[in-house]
Amino acid sequence: MTAARPTFSRDLLIAGCALAVVLLLPMLWPSKALTDFVIRVSAFSLFATSLNLLVGYTGMVSFGHGMFFGFGAYCFGLSMQRLGVSIPVAIVITVLSTAALAAAVGAICIRLKDIYFAFITLAFQMLLYSLIIAWVPLTGGDQGLMGGIPRPEFLGVDLGLESHRYAFSVVLMVVGLLAMRHVVESPFGYTLRMIRDNPDRASFLGIHVFRAKLTAFIIAGVFAALGGMVMALFVSGAYPEFANWTMSGEGIFMVMLGGVSTFVGPTAGAVVLSLLNDVITRRTEHHGLFLGVVILVFALGLRKGVTDFIADWLRAQREARSSALTGDRT
Amino acid sequence: MDLAALTECLTTASCIITQTTSGLIIGLLLFLVAAGLTLIFGVLKVVNFTHGSFYMLGAYFAYTVNGLTDSYVLAVLAAAVGVGLFALAFERFFISKVYASNVLMQLLVCYAFILILDDAVKIIWGPEFKSMGMPAAFQSPPLFIAGGIVPVFYLFLIGVTLAISLGLWLTITRTRFGTIVRAAAVNPSMVSALGINTGLVYGAVFALGGLLAGLAGGLAAPVRSLTSGMGFSILIESFIVTVIGGMGSIAGALLGAILIGLVRAFGSIGFPLFVEGLMFMLMAVILILKPSGLLGKEG
Amino acid sequence: MARKRVHLDRRTVLKGAAAGAAATLFAPNIVTAQSKAIRVGMPTILSGRVAQLGTSSRNAVMMEVEKVNAAGGLAGRQIEMVVRDSKGAPQEAARVSRELVNSDGCEILLDAEASSGAFAVQEVAKDLGVLCIHTNSETSSLTADPKLRIPNAFRACRQGIHDSIAGGAYAAKIAEAKKLDKWATCSPDYAYGRDSTQLFMEYLKHFYPKAEVTTEAWPKLFQPDYTEVITKVIQAKPQGLYSCLWGGDLTSWIDQGNIYAMFTQMEVFAINMADYTALTAVKNLPKGIHSGNRYIKTFPNTPKNAAWAEDYRARFKEWPTNWSWENATGIHFLAAASKKANSADGKKIEEAMRGLKIDSPFGADGTITMRAEDQTIIGYAVGWGMTIPNEPYVPEVTAGDWKNILELEADWKKRSKYT
Repeated sequence: MTAARPTFSRDLLIAGCALAVVLLLPMLWPSKALTDFVIRVSAFSLFATSLNLLVGYTGMVSFGHGMFFGFGAYCFGLSMQRLGVSIPVAIVITVLSTAALAAAVGAICIRLKDIYFAFITLAFQMLLYSLIIAWVPLTGGDQGLMGGIPRPEFLGVDLGLESHRYAFSVVLMVVGLLAMRHVVESPFGYTLRMIRDNPDRASFLGIHVFRAKLTAFIIAGVFAALGGMVMALFVSGAYPEFANWTMSGEGIFMVMLGGVSTFVGPTAGAVVLSLLNDVITRRTEHHGLFLGVVILVFALGLRKGVTDFIADWLRAQREARSSALTGDRT
Repeated sequence: MDLAALTECLTTASCIITQTTSGLIIGLLLFLVAAGLTLIFGVLKVVNFTHGSFYMLGAYFAYTVNGLTDSYVLAVLAAAVGVGLFALAFERFFISKVYASNVLMQLLVCYAFILILDDAVKIIWGPEFKSMGMPAAFQSPPLFIAGGIVPVFYLFLIGVTLAISLGLWLTITRTRFGTIVRAAAVNPSMVSALGINTGLVYGAVFALGGLLAGLAGGLAAPVRSLTSGMGFSILIESFIVTVIGGMGSIAGALLGAILIGLVRAFGSIGFPLFVEGLMFMLMAVILILKPSGLLGKEG
Repeated sequence: MARKRVHLDRRTVLKGAAAGAAATLFAPNIVTAQSKAIRVGMPTILSGRVAQLGTSSRNAVMMEVEKVNAAGGLAGRQIEMVVRDSKGAPQEAARVSRELVNSDGCEILLDAEASSGAFAVQEVAKDLGVLCIHTNSETSSLTADPKLRIPNAFRACRQGIHDSIAGGAYAAKIAEAKKLDKWATCSPDYAYGRDSTQLFMEYLKHFYPKAEVTTEAWPKLFQPDYTEVITKVIQAKPQGLYSCLWGGDLTSWIDQGNIYAMFTQMEVFAINMADYTALTAVKNLPKGIHSGNRYIKTFPNTPKNAAWAEDYRARFKEWPTNWSWENATGIHFLAAASKKANSADGKKIEEAMRGLKIDSPFGADGTITMRAEDQTIIGYAVGWGMTIPNEPYVPEVTAGDWKNILELEADWKKRSKYT
């Protein structure tokens, strides 16, 4: 039984509705904490979903995806601070440079398999992190890009205004998610799944596995950089922490928490993890203890992401319905 | 970058001797932690990210026992045994539950324990850093060997580490336990078909790994300040060491540890601001040239 | 069927928990202006390796707030502190600060973050326009650089440049007497470490031109093993050594340097030694390390200062830290400015705080001034002395000369193109 392959127009519709709902949210519930939260989730959602392109769809477990998040934040921040370009130009610069970085790093890393791929991506991430820390004149070292990132108005959008910043981040997230959805539902996306399930078979079928993996790596890197950009706009700066291994760790946790088997899983994971983090840090200074216990319950008890449960439940419903139908017929 | 200083050092005998000894000292201390990490990976195929926390627990156990008994020997033993038991419990009750899951689930369980243990240490021992103090026996001036300076305490540590390495090597190669462990690393189902309880073997390996980490923490406690989170930098370094040497290879870990020690010792002279970057660069280069590490088996 | 029910239950629980959490987090903005208490948000570091920064800052704040509240609060409104952990991550510091203002209704921020976090909080303060008092970041540029400075942010703590000038002057006298010409430095490789070291050496040379740096070692922050930097320094055979390592790193370094007998081979100037946390933690403190006063109850040697330290110790069973006096000073300024303005309004307090001079147990002459031009404090106790392994730890402190410090600071600002 194969479900009908979701079409792009249906995705477009869902994305449009989601966008409208999230954009209207602040009017229904006027809380600055909520808008701040959504902006952060936008950044993490782009980051985690792009990571899932690798982990979930291509079977490439990267421990170094935070490298692109951090690189995106710094690239965008530096373009704005040093070059004084407009925001769209800075975005283009960020996308192009991240693609170049991802192509170079990917070309080296993809040759390695499984856990060794994870290690080498981590090594490259930490190399970037060390560079950011050491190259003080450019990056400000451990203090990060100081003095704020300018937010000049463009096309009537003034990111200095909270409402505009909110809308901009949300639009960027939805457009980014839609684009990634388009990638995974395209024939290329199915090629990636085949590589994940059986790289030898894919290779026999004449698929250039290396090229496909590299393309996925670059796409994932670019969207992670967009996430980093949203974060840089939010905190009006960029910090080495963005490129540290902890960022990759959080990304992996979001993906796992939300579920690898659905497209929206990582976004759900981003929401849940951010919510957990915010609630726990408000309640106790022993948040490590609490977050640790929650993770344990999840890893040892639930063993599946939040959206996996929903997907399972939906599937069970559908099966129950179809068996009921067949039952009627007999 | 200070290449002039590096050349100058490399042309002076005393500088070469001192920095090489420093590198060896750094390396051997790292090896003690890394050995457990690589042992666990070799047999269980689990990257034990809680290993740094084991090291931290070892240091704190030693601190407490040292405070109670005023005996460094007892303190180190308590650290080793205590952490070994803790590691056993950790394996039996938690990690063993996710052997079948993918590597990410194992990572999550480890991550959870890093968070929990850091907070537990803060709650039990307080947020302020602690210092255990040098045992009276080692409060003597350093020795001067061929123009290089070697502290007595580090000579002792080197001796102990070498003895432990030898013991570990003998255990793995000459005992029945070692044979089972090596067999389990290659073919666990065959081992269990022979009527050996693999769960027990896994638990024992984890306990041994934990024991080594605890030992390292206890041994180094007199010269390290104790804080919650202290295991983290150790974890990163011993992780690099095991990857460079080859995950699963104990001899590789020794080689990797000494290599990292030397990189640190001479890197701090030639590239004082990029020592950590150098270590990751070395790791990346070795992974590219030989993904399984210097002495790792192609898998 | 049974399985499915379990799933549903779990989902319901998850949903319920999420909804509950969301409700508390995203409560629509409350208008707090009319409410009686005034909330002061305090982002700080309560976890990780420098958790002590947060705990000792919070202790001092709680102690002082209690006193202010007993005396009527800020213009009649009781202070309610909301302390939150940023885990030392700047992006968390930014988030927490925004949340404190936006959803917890805090009208004032007391920023007890370390340097990089302080810059992040500064951005938030710039964005939201709330009154912000930095109490832990000693990085000079935070207030000295007009590009970073904002009218609603103040600094109520040490500033690197002041310490360096005082330290340079003190070290120069000893260098002169003992003929210390060859110097080495060994400081943590991050912004504070680099700035502090560079400025210290600059002023040492200013007062004693014969001094020359022959080797520099830069261990990483939180490095566990200092062997290679210690041997590097010893190799260079310097006569004087400067270090601004602090906290646990400093004690590790001392323990490890001790077994190399490093401290008997050169005259050591470790600016962060004379803080009780480090002094009491080290078991085998070598004699004769020179240090700046971080917090010492005997300097200034006044009954007020001693009484404050005893009071703190009685409450928290430990001696105050450098962070403690700085945060206490932050609250003192807040209370005094509010009193002067007779208002709890951030803008009015801000106005009153500029140029305000208060009586303080931590003042070099019993007072501390919030300098109007760059909104940072001057006139606090700055001094250097030699440490010993037991009480009073620093028997004799040579006080820094504030006239001299201010002159050289003005000159430094000019050279840095800040004025």
